[in-house]
Amino acid sequence: MKIGGKLVLGLAILLIVLPILSLILYNLEVNPISTILNKPNVFIDSGYNTFYLLIITVFISIIFGLFPAWFVSLYSFKFKYLVDFLLYLPLAIPTYIMAFSYGEILSYTGPFQLFLRNYIPALSPFFNMDYLTIEVLGCVLGFSLFPYVYAASRISFTLIGQSYIHLSKMLGLNTLSTFFKVVLPLSTPAILSAVFLVCMEVLNEYGATKYFGVNTFTTEIFKTWYSLNDIGAAVGLSVVLLITVMTLYIFEHMYNAKTKINYKENTQLDFTFKKKITSTKPILFCIIPILFGFVFPFIFIVNNVIENILIFNFIDTLILAFNSISLSLLASLLIVLVLFYVLFVDKEYKTRASKTLNIFSSIGYALPGAVLALSLIIMSSQIKNNVISVSLTGTYFLLIHAYFIRFMAVGKSPIKSSFDKMPDNLSESAKNLGLGNLGLAKKLYLPLNKFALLTAFLLCFVDLMKELPMTLILRPFNFDTLATKTYEFAVEEMVDLSSIYSLIIILVCSASLFIVKKINHN
Amino acid sequence: MKNTILYITIICLLSGCNNKQSDIVNLYTQRHYKVDEIQYKNFEKLTGIKVNVVKSNADELIERLRNEGENSKADIFISVDAGKLQKAASMGLLQNISDDIQTGNIINTLLDVNDFWLPLTYRARILVYSNDRVDVSELDSYESLSDEKWKNRILVRSSSNAYNQALMASMIANNGYEGAKKWSKGIVENLARSPKGNDRDQVKAIYSGLGDVAIVNSYYIGLLLSSEKEEERKAGEAVSVFFPNQAENQRGTHINISGMGIAKNAPNLENAITLMNYLLSEEAQNTYVKNSYEYSVNKSVKPSEIVQKWGDFRIDSLDLNNLGVYREDAIEVFETTGWK
Repeated sequence: MKIGGKLVLGLAILLIVLPILSLILYNLEVNPISTILNKPNVFIDSGYNTFYLLIITVFISIIFGLFPAWFVSLYSFKFKYLVDFLLYLPLAIPTYIMAFSYGEILSYTGPFQLFLRNYIPALSPFFNMDYLTIEVLGCVLGFSLFPYVYAASRISFTLIGQSYIHLSKMLGLNTLSTFFKVVLPLSTPAILSAVFLVCMEVLNEYGATKYFGVNTFTTEIFKTWYSLNDIGAAVGLSVVLLITVMTLYIFEHMYNAKTKINYKENTQLDFTFKKKITSTKPILFCIIPILFGFVFPFIFIVNNVIENILIFNFIDTLILAFNSISLSLLASLLIVLVLFYVLFVDKEYKTRASKTLNIFSSIGYALPGAVLALSLIIMSSQIKNNVISVSLTGTYFLLIHAYFIRFMAVGKSPIKSSFDKMPDNLSESAKNLGLGNLGLAKKLYLPLNKFALLTAFLLCFVDLMKELPMTLILRPFNFDTLATKTYEFAVEEMVDLSSIYSLIIILVCSASLFIVKKINHN
Repeated sequence: MKNTILYITIICLLSGCNNKQSDIVNLYTQRHYKVDEIQYKNFEKLTGIKVNVVKSNADELIERLRNEGENSKADIFISVDAGKLQKAASMGLLQNISDDIQTGNIINTLLDVNDFWLPLTYRARILVYSNDRVDVSELDSYESLSDEKWKNRILVRSSSNAYNQALMASMIANNGYEGAKKWSKGIVENLARSPKGNDRDQVKAIYSGLGDVAIVNSYYIGLLLSSEKEEERKAGEAVSVFFPNQAENQRGTHINISGMGIAKNAPNLENAITLMNYLLSEEAQNTYVKNSYEYSVNKSVKPSEIVQKWGDFRIDSLDLNNLGVYREDAIEVFETTGWK
């Protein structure tokens, strides 16, 4: 590989590692252990809450991700395509908006209890209770995050192919036993990766947990940092979180590496095993997550928009939408370009640098966004003081840098799995025919992986549209996005007035997910 | 392709460095209300000075100021909590308030004794009680809420909230650490449910019958009463407002300010002073009370109609810097007494 290529790889690694290093080095006098030992109760409490919340969320997302995926793959029914698409849509609603919406929907003055009081008064006292609990939060997060499991399971079921299923049928297993004895074990690696993503999202959650009054490890980090002013301990705790996540990540990888499964190529479960649906249970399993994960909050938000339609300033709203969309487009484009380059080098040259980058690209996902943002500010002022006298803080450059670190992991997997499917001999032949690196990238990799690249681009775009904590602290002067505006109203307890911004986020993200679905279906 | 990336990078870099002109003032602010936008627009019209704004949480803004150091472009730091202003001042991020700022009309007890910040508006942390289940004569002070008669009847949000931290800091400043701890224990024992939700949720919980008395900010009662939703207005009407600690031998109701300080390295100092003078003027103070449910810091500006209906009250004359000084102790009290 040429020097230039190595330089780019090195730079990419530096971009990821530098902020995190500056965070740790800047606070070297830290002793997180002593903080934890000083107040064991607080950490036992927040650790327990985090664990409990994880269990509930993971349980809900597996139940409502795995089974619908199986039913949609196995059965043919009316509106199957629509149901399949709707099962992805909860991803279009940011978790903080889900939490605020359900807080309002379930509250005493909200539509649910109001309906009971007006129409079924005998029942209403039983439902007049406290809904802001860790259990409800777990369910809300579960219904918001199950599409990760759903998507992974769908892809995995499709890959298993018909021969395994035929075999199990021939050996006398019914559909249920086939699912538990054949399909499930074969899909465990994919499901495990999805569960890992769900866990990451829960660990990074801040807005929703705070609103529900649930103390998790992440809220503890911010309390230590901001309220107790103990930056050292907060950094220490972040490192503890980082190590925990990296350990989980390594376990997941080790497990997946151990269980190599030979998928049969070109056999699709979808097209060989269509059964007419016979009971209502499968339908119910698909409808429940769609209702709770998308329809209810969506109707609630649309209703708020209609009620407040006269108050909204449409020009301001348009500007905000433009800001959000253009920034997200630009950042996702950059992320995908870099990923394309890095993974191309990795595939063609298999260098150590590209492998390292592969691992590091997941780190950003493991740190709470706000901690990452602050580490970038520290890095930027260190650069300003020691290297060049340009302050990056408050520039789009730093903001996009933050997005880059955080969302590389999101864009990486579709591109990587698409590259992995390319037979090695293809590029060998192309090289023999005289193609250079640029030609190889342009004429072979780009056309062959264009759908994967577009998928990665759109997935990054969706996540960027929803991003809040980093934009909030790193944005330039006078720059608002739909997400920051939603937050500003919500934090002042005016959720109604933020509804138009939430709605635009949801619509734009839904449209992007629709395209993702469409191109991957074809 | 290479060129495109280069151009994008250059544009990104430049976009952050284009405010070299001198007719600007840069704000790091925690306030993000409609009324603030109105104020800045009026100010721009009047003076031609452009107001640039970054809005975020106070702690994040302080962290950003600290890390930016001498490179910071911030001129003014605005927070909705005196404790955060004290925190910024104690970290050396603010400079002394210039003598050119007119403070003659400001309520005296709201001024910073160390001269690092100025108040903009203030809010009271009041009690609201159920019209059906509580008689006003039963209420007295914050302290009395720890009485046994309130068992399972008190509502309040979680201790991670800055307004509660400020209230606890004022309890420590007034009654000492042990006194505050005893009070906190009493409150926790009397809670109708574990602390959660926002201030409006506490009022809704009274309306639903979950509890009888809530500790909330006056501001949010105004919001509920003027809500577009009938059920929310009903919730606001189901409760009444009570200003605690008003008896003659008592200290007055706990309040907190929105306030502003000049950043240590303010690059546009003069413009900052002009803006601060404007925001304290009678005209701007009138704009605040007309467009929000806050109280003016100007002695001669009356609050909005809804707020006036609750009546006058005496404010706790505690030096507001204490809200920052005792913050850590306050959190310790919360943690040791189990106020989640």
